[in-house]
Amino acid sequence: MNIETSHIKKIYQEKTVLSLDGQFSDLLFESGKIHGIIGPNGSGKTTLMKIIAGLIAPSSGAVLYNGQPLCQDIFSEMTYSTHTPTLFSRSVYQNIAYPLKIRKQEKNAIDQTVSQLLEEFEIDDIKDQSARHLSGGESQKIALARALSFSPKALFLDEPTANIDPKSIQIIEAALQKRNREQGLTIIIITHNLSQAFRICNHLTFLDQGSCLFSDRPEKIMTTSHSTIDEFISFNRF
Amino acid sequence: MDYILNGFVEAFRLIFSFDPEIIQIVLLSLFVSFSATLYGTLIGVPLGIALGIHHFRGKKVVSRFLYTFMSFPPVIIGLFTALFLARSGPFGQFQLMYTPTAMIIAQTILVTPVIMGIVFNHASTSGYEVVQTGKTLGARRWDILILLVLELKAVIMIALVTGFGRAISEVGAVMIVGGNIRGFTRVMTTFIAMNNNMGQYSVSIAMGLILMSISFFTNSLLYHFILGDQNEYRD
Repeated sequence: MNIETSHIKKIYQEKTVLSLDGQFSDLLFESGKIHGIIGPNGSGKTTLMKIIAGLIAPSSGAVLYNGQPLCQDIFSEMTYSTHTPTLFSRSVYQNIAYPLKIRKQEKNAIDQTVSQLLEEFEIDDIKDQSARHLSGGESQKIALARALSFSPKALFLDEPTANIDPKSIQIIEAALQKRNREQGLTIIIITHNLSQAFRICNHLTFLDQGSCLFSDRPEKIMTTSHSTIDEFISFNRF
Repeated sequence: MDYILNGFVEAFRLIFSFDPEIIQIVLLSLFVSFSATLYGTLIGVPLGIALGIHHFRGKKVVSRFLYTFMSFPPVIIGLFTALFLARSGPFGQFQLMYTPTAMIIAQTILVTPVIMGIVFNHASTSGYEVVQTGKTLGARRWDILILLVLELKAVIMIALVTGFGRAISEVGAVMIVGGNIRGFTRVMTTFIAMNNNMGQYSVSIAMGLILMSISFFTNSLLYHFILGDQNEYRD
């Protein structure tokens, strides 16, 4: 799914938290690629992602999905997950099965899909436990498995690997790359981890104080001369 | 001190004598309070959820009014209900004053804000996140409503039991609109108040014990079916 933004602006409580204009007034998130959004805290990353995901409306500007404005059919083909996911107070299995159940899939098909995801994310040993009493890493894996269960066309992730162990990070990154490679899933991911962005992203967008400073292939950011970007990169080296 | 002890002895004798008047009073109390809780739930739960999950201008003001109504004195609610239901009041033509229906109306007004407030409070915090998550997973309006009710079911049950507790234990409202008429509108609390005034402590204690047993029973049910269910994964 191609996602294009045009002159997006978001004003919240009389404060402009996001304003895309000038050289980067229009952003293109190409179909079938993994796009990273990076930048310091309070730079507008989450706001931009929530606007693209259709969760909040921009104050001005437009977002087009394959050239179309957002509608219920497009919205139901996208999904969004954060590093503090809301899991439902039911078992891990039931959480992952939820998107399939509301899409009225057959029980056998649900069983098969959920079992594959439980195995892929290495959480099959906790499938009958309540999803409300698990660690942060387990919660994030469940949230991602749930988001992937119905094979969306676009996936938006807000720091999906924040505060989790290296093995879980590896599992999550592998799952994302597999879906991107095999199903052409468009992924937009917010991360503070520059090395992760280089590992999995085909395209990077850098935001600072609500403005876009960079939007291109990841390797090009190293040759960009901008003090904020330089500072961000230098801190990431440590 | 003897009269207290004798009161308890007499109370147990009275309970196990299965006095028809006592049984009738208990049954009427349960009917009135269950009906009020049912109506309060039907009104309070959807409104509490709707107000809780939506962001709108003036939400803080609404919540302040709601929390104020949660602690409204039953006597005041009884008084206002009586003013509306009295023969000369706007609904006087229905002749509801001093009937169980009037008592149900007064208690419904009493418990609705309690149920609504508890549901509103939880829907405002966790309910909004549930709605957003449901939406991002492709849930439509009806799916989200079912999801919300299931996610808030423990809260709804707590609200329901709290509402029932407030209804069955109040005396002011039912006294004013019911009139404590023997065999018709006399309920447990008005019975206790009346007998206490007459110095008949044993029957007051007997009814008090029944009231406490009902409270214990409903709370045990809540714990067993809802909170116990939530704890089943913890070990």
